[in-house]
Amino acid sequence: MSKPEKPFFVGYLPVQQALRRWLLVVCALFVVGLTGIGMVMGTAQDDPGPGAFRFDYGRQTVSGVVELTPYPLVRVTVGNDRIKPGTTLMLVGQGKSNVDARAVPLEGQLAKVSGIVLQRGELNMLQLRGGANGLAAEEGEAPPQDSIPLGRWKLAGEICDGKCLAGAMRPGRGLAHKACANLCLIGGVPPVFVSSQPVDGSEFFLVTGPDGTALPKSAYDAIGQFVSIEGEVERRGDMLVLSIDPDSVEVLD
Amino acid sequence: MSVKYIPVQWNNNKWLYDGVMLVGVGLFLYVFLNASPSVLGYEPPINPQVHNARAFGACAFAMLTVILCIGPLARLDERFLPLLYNRRHFGVMTVFVAITHASYIIDWYFAFSMSDKYEALLFANTSYGQLAGFPFEIFGVFALVVLVILAATSHDFWMKFLTPPVWKRIHYLIYPAYLSVVAHISLGILQDQQAHAFTVIFIIGALLVGLLHLLAALSERKRDRALSAEGVDWVEVADVSSFRDGFAKIRLLPNGERVAVYLMDGRLSAISNACAHQNGPLGEGRIIDCLVTCPWHGFQYDVRNGRSPAPFTEMVPTYNLRLEGSSVQVDPKANPPGTPVDPLQIPVAYQMTKNGEVPA
Repeated sequence: MSKPEKPFFVGYLPVQQALRRWLLVVCALFVVGLTGIGMVMGTAQDDPGPGAFRFDYGRQTVSGVVELTPYPLVRVTVGNDRIKPGTTLMLVGQGKSNVDARAVPLEGQLAKVSGIVLQRGELNMLQLRGGANGLAAEEGEAPPQDSIPLGRWKLAGEICDGKCLAGAMRPGRGLAHKACANLCLIGGVPPVFVSSQPVDGSEFFLVTGPDGTALPKSAYDAIGQFVSIEGEVERRGDMLVLSIDPDSVEVLD
Repeated sequence: MSVKYIPVQWNNNKWLYDGVMLVGVGLFLYVFLNASPSVLGYEPPINPQVHNARAFGACAFAMLTVILCIGPLARLDERFLPLLYNRRHFGVMTVFVAITHASYIIDWYFAFSMSDKYEALLFANTSYGQLAGFPFEIFGVFALVVLVILAATSHDFWMKFLTPPVWKRIHYLIYPAYLSVVAHISLGILQDQQAHAFTVIFIIGALLVGLLHLLAALSERKRDRALSAEGVDWVEVADVSSFRDGFAKIRLLPNGERVAVYLMDGRLSAISNACAHQNGPLGEGRIIDCLVTCPWHGFQYDVRNGRSPAPFTEMVPTYNLRLEGSSVQVDPKANPPGTPVDPLQIPVAYQMTKNGEVPA
């Protein structure tokens, strides 16, 4: 039996006086509670880090030598105020796409590249303009580029997609971002390994498979996780390239 | 109650309910979206698309948590019943907030590739064999599909079309959906979060839902023990002197059904305790304007025949009663819904008025 002394609510009838104060308190708690929770949750978000599209630089155009790791790079030979000679730029297309079709025919040649810079610390990437406006062969002999072997390393860190990490998305790394990172890598965006310890002054490595192959698909399960990884490190300009042994990828707790 | 189907039968209480709900949701989103960036002060800031997705996702979780707390709260304390009254509007609003969250995610993380963004959502991460890095998006997809189904079938038309038992079973999917949301958050954003305020709120919210349901279930069990009655042909309900005019006594019959025995104008009548609308406990209602009124949504029935007053058509089963000495007994075999039964006249000496007084 319902308690006769208690007020009884019927939705389509006026609310009884005895219930009104109670309902007012509940409504106030609901509104204040949701507002407070919204504030706390909103302010509990982590810093996405320093990476960003450098639209403030404007469109950048430099010249350099195209290399394939197999992911395309440009070793800048003629720079500008923002991008100095000796800089190594990873090249990507719009969105989650690569520029392999344009870069492969120019491997080892001098080329002019143009686009928007993505930058996170010493990690530099150039999102190219469309067609020949973004990447075109240049007249002249390509100067030889150094590649300095730094030996075999075992490192701990995270494999990310280079573009989101560099600032296309903020945040652009971690497990919550894994599907997006996978989609970028499927699209041919260069993967980047973020090491917990720097090697030769850098914590970022363009990461590839062995012998100039792309990152093996088997490594995709480890994207966004804290892993240990082994491979050969070489320096190409201001960028380190890590050629991993696919079997060495091990998830760390 | 309705004779014809109209989208919403608005009344003042529904307007108020929706107004308060919208103010709460609006303020949640406002402070999350506008106030928090200035407090965070990150430079460069979190992407607006991600910020928006998080705001709507967090809001949907908070709303779903509140919605799931209303049911057990109302079972534990009937003063919360008004929150139950228009809960379906709350649910539909939650679906819109959740869809907005999903839209921001899909249009950001899964766009900009050569693949269709909806296909990408399903194939981008297929690491189903591991916990860390599990494609948690799939839990969100499941929860959203369920929520959309529940919202789409929330109107009384669907309840009538599907029949209340089927409708009720479908709407129990809210529990797997909530568990799925918990998994979606646990394997997603919580894996990356360094600041723990969100984690703490999430855990408290999810535990609160679980705890309230547990408490309500224990309370129901205790109540059922007190209500259970034994007997084969006739089952004892209560002493005739214990009835109060305008109110009911509920008994749990050996066959598992509940009967509500009402005293009205000195006569006893028995109907099923389950409202034909959403199985609301009719015995916990009271008689208003000579009609049993359900405490959940105010559906009404003539206690003598289990029928809603014309032009409404809802019906519930009735039961036969008899008086053995001072003991009121009920025949556990229910009559078909809407069967008229002559009320059982009880001696004046046993009658208790609405005020709890025995007439002179």
